[in-house]
Amino acid sequence: MKTTHYLFLTVIILMISTIACNTNQSPEKQAISKSQSNIIRLQGGDWGYPTPYAHYPRGPGGYKTNLIFDSLLESDENGLIPWLAEKWETIDNGKRYLFTIRQNVTFHDGMPLTPEDVVFSLEYANQYPQSWSYLYQSIQSVRTQDTRNVLVTVITPSVPMLIYIGRTRILPKHIWKDIKQPQQFISKLSIIGCGPYRLTDYNKSHGIYRFEVFKNYWGPKPAVQVIEYIPVSQPILAYERGEIDMAIIPPDVLPGFTKDPRNKIVKSPAFWGIRLLFNMKSVPEFQNKAMRQAIRYALDLNALVEKTTRGAAICGSAGMLSPDHLLFNPHVKKYEYNLNRAISLLESAGYSYFDHDGTRKDKNGKKLIFQLLCSSGARISRSPISEIRIAEMIKEYLQRAGIHIQVKSADQRSRDSAVKSNQYEMVLLGHGGWGSDPQFLKKRFADKIRQGNSLMECRSYGYHNDHLDALLNQQSITFDPQKRKQLIFDIQRILSEELPEIPLFNTTNYTVFRPSTYDGWRFMYDHHALEHSKLSFLEKQL
Amino acid sequence: MFKIIEYLITLWIILTLNFFLPRLMPGDPFLFVSGDEGNAVAQNTACIQESYIQFYGLGKPVHIQYVHYIIELFQGNLGHSFHFNESVSAILLKRFPWTVFLIVSAVLLSTIIGVVLGSISAWFQGRFLDNFLYFCLIIIAEIPAFLLALIFLFIFSAEFNLFPLSGAVTHFSGYKGWEWLADICHHAALPIISLTLVRSSGMYLLARNSMITVIAKDYIRTATAKGLTQYRILFRHIIKNAMLPIVTRIFLTLGSLVGGAILVENVFAYPGLGLLMREAVLMHDYPLIQGLFLLVTICVLTANYLADWVYVWLDPRISRDV
Repeated sequence: MKTTHYLFLTVIILMISTIACNTNQSPEKQAISKSQSNIIRLQGGDWGYPTPYAHYPRGPGGYKTNLIFDSLLESDENGLIPWLAEKWETIDNGKRYLFTIRQNVTFHDGMPLTPEDVVFSLEYANQYPQSWSYLYQSIQSVRTQDTRNVLVTVITPSVPMLIYIGRTRILPKHIWKDIKQPQQFISKLSIIGCGPYRLTDYNKSHGIYRFEVFKNYWGPKPAVQVIEYIPVSQPILAYERGEIDMAIIPPDVLPGFTKDPRNKIVKSPAFWGIRLLFNMKSVPEFQNKAMRQAIRYALDLNALVEKTTRGAAICGSAGMLSPDHLLFNPHVKKYEYNLNRAISLLESAGYSYFDHDGTRKDKNGKKLIFQLLCSSGARISRSPISEIRIAEMIKEYLQRAGIHIQVKSADQRSRDSAVKSNQYEMVLLGHGGWGSDPQFLKKRFADKIRQGNSLMECRSYGYHNDHLDALLNQQSITFDPQKRKQLIFDIQRILSEELPEIPLFNTTNYTVFRPSTYDGWRFMYDHHALEHSKLSFLEKQL
Repeated sequence: MFKIIEYLITLWIILTLNFFLPRLMPGDPFLFVSGDEGNAVAQNTACIQESYIQFYGLGKPVHIQYVHYIIELFQGNLGHSFHFNESVSAILLKRFPWTVFLIVSAVLLSTIIGVVLGSISAWFQGRFLDNFLYFCLIIIAEIPAFLLALIFLFIFSAEFNLFPLSGAVTHFSGYKGWEWLADICHHAALPIISLTLVRSSGMYLLARNSMITVIAKDYIRTATAKGLTQYRILFRHIIKNAMLPIVTRIFLTLGSLVGGAILVENVFAYPGLGLLMREAVLMHDYPLIQGLFLLVTICVLTANYLADWVYVWLDPRISRDV
């Protein structure tokens, strides 16, 4: 099945490459950018009914829901911006937040949005877990201060609470107040929000959505009147035929699209990445910093990026944050590929003896043989290259330094389960979310007891550093942006020195679209997909 | 009566396996610590994860869950899908007709094509036409269905724009009546042709071999000696007697309805059950896996039961033997 899967992908890429290279490039002139469009068609597929509780816990589901439901804050390229809340204030070192709610906002059914709706929505999200809000069981109280202000008191203050509160979708109380099973509330009423679009068609089995503009929207004027999501098997062919207006293209076919002046190609920020984790409890050798650094020096990440992603990625920063993150520290310790340095570090750690097969060992005969767990199914950069290939390359690199790696693959969920229960020695873990608030560093490196539950929190098991813990705890409650930035920079510097895990690379996708159809696409500061930003469909305010 | 009890016991064993096997897979339906490239996944905290486990009843002991599952099943409730957030029966009802349409059409067409070509080949055994057909169909048989589908997609859809690239209908078109039916056939054409071509080869070889065996029988020589027309010999004596293995194959194929077109459905983004099954297993969506495998079980058992009936109808000696 796996071989068939790879063959399938290879054939697709070869065929698409042929067609992309044959793209008609001559007759059309460079088209004029268009900031308004009547209709935009995008790649569909079923991502669940777009209510805050019924959509699937994936980006395409969550961000479609945001077209219908507004939240207190929104995200642009530079950070959080006021949305349903005209302004906000952080009080008592993050224990309380005061939001001033915008007036003259109406829901799709004509009812006005009131601070009562905001109080209800936040309390509801505190009671029933809502994807993407993370407010569940973290709010102490919410109450209206007067006719415009809402005061939120949290249980444990932390900087990202503002994001969690700000991104919680606001529901109409008059519709949701009696709903006890929000996940199963699927009706025309459950898709009444106060966002810029209304859902006018949805078919689960076909994976289609149609959104039409909400004429009484309070905010920036929608620049696209209708957004349609249709099922697509080969996005590039569908784009070429004009069936969809945007597609993500693999690096192999990039040249064919670049030559056509009708296309505009945008490189996405590197917010999906893959990292190498060590289990320091089950393999005490990994507790030695020199060993971890030696492994990093022995890995040629530039070659790894070139071979596995054909250049559509950037090498991971040893400071853990993606180089495209708003709080990335460019002055962390750098590890260029240096086999000699790796060897000298291993020898200084006592591994200067060799087995007959060239594997290093210490004076007691303890050999450097480790098992590397990876997912058999996960793909990188929309290509047939898999995590297994990356694991094999790591094996080759480390072999040169005298470290023997046994690659073990499992299906994605089994691998995840092994990570959660710390049943691994080394493991490759690929996931998105690298643009999110660096609070994840605290959950990843300062929790001494439990392995994390979510993808950004999972960590090299058994790592501990008191100084780092103190800084991580401090940044969590430092509400001054400049002071916090300094703390995050310091944390990255320490992490790059300590190297409790190795970020291998962060991928950067290429998105192609025709500016003549629509050119209002925008990124969010922490997310990689243009079509996921609500602001992409609204007129830009100067 | 004995036969029915046999079927019921088989059904119970399969239901039990359907329930326990997915739960034996390592992994947790609500634990996401990795994601496919380009995909953002919600980050469930421990308490969010726990709330889902309690909501879907996965916190109870497995034997209690099993009893609950069987009781609910007898009440016609197949459960609620974790991932798709919809009742399993509703999901299956929406998807099943599309797969049935694809597979039944492909089986019918491939049977007709395979049997006709197989008959011609057997009739002209050893001559140019037989050799030519044999060569062509052996080559087609070796091409995987998805590859053939991809080739068709790139030639007829992408290059010549004759067929749609994907899906089962033209969305947001407002087609009704005959227009709607024609649109469905237009979308299903390439998937059905791909599946038909690949399946025709198997049917052709089976029909050819079966007919060659029958042609060598004495009663065919007798029929020829009696001076019957070639048409009568072929259709009344040879094909009828060569049908048993062909019928077996038809019912075997119908039994594999659910998973029969996974890759082809994938190529054309066709909204059938094949893709659903893959998704259900990947997401550890226990109720959906159970529902899908139950459907597979029912298809196989029904196909077997029908095959038993048709055998008796085709060859009355079988019932005498039983």
